[in-house]
Amino acid sequence: MANENGNAYALTTLCPLLEVSGEDTSPAALIRDRLHRVNTGASSPMAKVPNVYFCRFLILDDVIYESKPHRLEHLQSQYLVFEASLHGQLAPYLQGMWEQAQPFVRSMWQFCVGFSEVNDAASFTAYIQKCQVETTFFFNGSTDEPLAEQLKSLYLKQEFSKFAYAHQGWSGKDLQVAFEDFIARVEPANLARPTWRAGATDLKGVVIP
Amino acid sequence: MAPVLDLHDIQGNIIKAYPRFGFCCSRNFFFRVSDGDAGRAFLSALIPTVTTAAPWVSGGAAVVDSKRPKITTNVAFTFEGLKRLGVPQASLQTFPEEFAMGMTARRDILGDDGPSAPTSWDPIWRSADPVHIFISINASNQAALEQRYQEILALSPKSGLNLLSGHRTASGVELPYQDSSAIFDNGEATSREHFGYTDGVSNPYFKGAGTDSSNVIGGGKATGKDARTAAGWAPLETGEFLLGHKDEAFEYPEAPIPNLLGDNGTYLVYRKLHQNVGSFDAYLARVGAEFPGGSEALAAKFAGRWRNGAPLTSFPTEQKANEFSARWASAKLAIGQAKTQAEREAAKRRFSALNTEFVAFDYTDDIEGTRCPVSAHARRSNPRSALEFGNKGAFAGPSSLSDRRRILRRGLPYGDSQSERKDDGEHGIIFMALCASIRRQFEFVQQQWLNYGNDFRLGNDKDPLLGNQELDEQGNADGRMVIESDPSSPTPPFFCAKLPRFVETRGGDYFFVPSLTALRMIAHGIVDPT
Repeated sequence: MANENGNAYALTTLCPLLEVSGEDTSPAALIRDRLHRVNTGASSPMAKVPNVYFCRFLILDDVIYESKPHRLEHLQSQYLVFEASLHGQLAPYLQGMWEQAQPFVRSMWQFCVGFSEVNDAASFTAYIQKCQVETTFFFNGSTDEPLAEQLKSLYLKQEFSKFAYAHQGWSGKDLQVAFEDFIARVEPANLARPTWRAGATDLKGVVIP
Repeated sequence: MAPVLDLHDIQGNIIKAYPRFGFCCSRNFFFRVSDGDAGRAFLSALIPTVTTAAPWVSGGAAVVDSKRPKITTNVAFTFEGLKRLGVPQASLQTFPEEFAMGMTARRDILGDDGPSAPTSWDPIWRSADPVHIFISINASNQAALEQRYQEILALSPKSGLNLLSGHRTASGVELPYQDSSAIFDNGEATSREHFGYTDGVSNPYFKGAGTDSSNVIGGGKATGKDARTAAGWAPLETGEFLLGHKDEAFEYPEAPIPNLLGDNGTYLVYRKLHQNVGSFDAYLARVGAEFPGGSEALAAKFAGRWRNGAPLTSFPTEQKANEFSARWASAKLAIGQAKTQAEREAAKRRFSALNTEFVAFDYTDDIEGTRCPVSAHARRSNPRSALEFGNKGAFAGPSSLSDRRRILRRGLPYGDSQSERKDDGEHGIIFMALCASIRRQFEFVQQQWLNYGNDFRLGNDKDPLLGNQELDEQGNADGRMVIESDPSSPTPPFFCAKLPRFVETRGGDYFFVPSLTALRMIAHGIVDPT
């Protein structure tokens, strides 16, 4: 199935926008404005959602006219497009999204047709699934391990390279002692910490000690 | 079929690396135009002195270089300079964005941050008003240089054109010119730079350049055949280095309108690069003490060449490199000692064959970097066919991923570092690169290959010599380099930690080098884009 690639899942949804917002601005302009102000990187509201590798929101105004001999066509409404690549199955992911980022979810979907009926994780999941279209040509740019595993392995990789640089030329015995200390410090089996922060786009402050 | 280039229409510095012809002293000076008429009058007067790419040698077998000038003169312009000289807006808008922006505005792409930031550059490059005209003159001695410099100053009008000062010197005095010169050893010009490396060994070879065709070896693009022979190489397309000619993408390079303004012209990158010789020596001494082979081998691993120029790929040990260097020196000597014409010709052939060994190699048999590290400067800046990573046939040609990233390198050292080896002071290289697209060629190499490592599967590692190494959270130098070992041997790879920034930018800009035709059009104010 095109939505899945190993343990990675690619979600594509198109949710039609209401024609009016009830305010002096169109729903599309309002949501665009909110999107332009949303925090990015580690402080993005989506960084708190478990197992999201990557996600994107955009407003689809209309289809593009490709000049003659193509036909000029229009969509019947504007859409909020939400795309995400994530680990695991869709339902638990959407539940996590509702639980961890509900205010943000509400601010994004507030002006979507039918969203006023959404009031809990189950109805949010049902709503998104109703708006889902099949993802085609899905390419997963990372491994399909759970996000916490991936962040921990990135952390370990970087720490191990620092260790290698810092202990070059040590005797076997000293190296073994240092390596044991290193393992005790980095706790390879502990996914909670120390590890990398989700959503980080910069190495500065990326480590959760 | 190779194009026949109008070498009389092409500025000489594009085709010839002047120091190779004995012009080992150079003076670079810059003007600001405040009055277009004055600027154009100056150019008109200057044009007869401009050195073209026309051959200096004639006479077939009995070679006479009667046409060799005593001094060379070349001229180039910034975008603001062209504007001030009256090139019409409709033409200006057809120049590439990076040229129009200039070097300061491209600092993030170039990695000119920290001590390399424009705020630390020589005053001439920090002025709110950019430079407009760049004149470079080359000669074999200082006296000739000074004479031509005075002649050119005498051509400049009394008003409307200002010679710009603001080049720092060791004494603290700011000069209206930047001199550079080969480093002399016992009165003889060497091709070494301040770190002690033989510089400018390898340069691209392109169709129609008219120089010695044996330069295709190592200078062209890889054919997949034996890199030690001419069959392993083919000339690069002219359009990689000259506008108005087909390039490696089978297109004409992006060029200004009208065609005559761009044809036979190119772009020039001028950079004053300071060298921290104290830090360099100290690092080699400290880390070289731990490195198998010692500090000289470590220096070679940084560059991909021994300091005498011998490539690591062909000469993996210091002993082999030294033997080669001795053979080379004695072959050079033999030319002068030849008693007959026949002897001299034979000696020249032997010397020429040895010269080829500096460049006749690729990394096909060294994919792992066992001989030349994957991160070595020469390998990063010109990967040859290394980006195939041994996957033969992956691309249209073995070196396809680097054929569009080649640059002609010109330049000479400035300042003295021999009397006292320290970071402070004025010593480095006046680096110049010539290419048809500053963005695609020079900037790409600088950004992706020198200041980043992803294309080489080296993560964030930077070029050990030129990389803009960063500081750790405590403010200590934090550059890194892996020196690979033979994967089949028990020897582990060697890690160079805490590499400091050995090279810092002190100024520069992007220039357009017009053809003689375009130069005349600019001087006469007749550039017509319609």
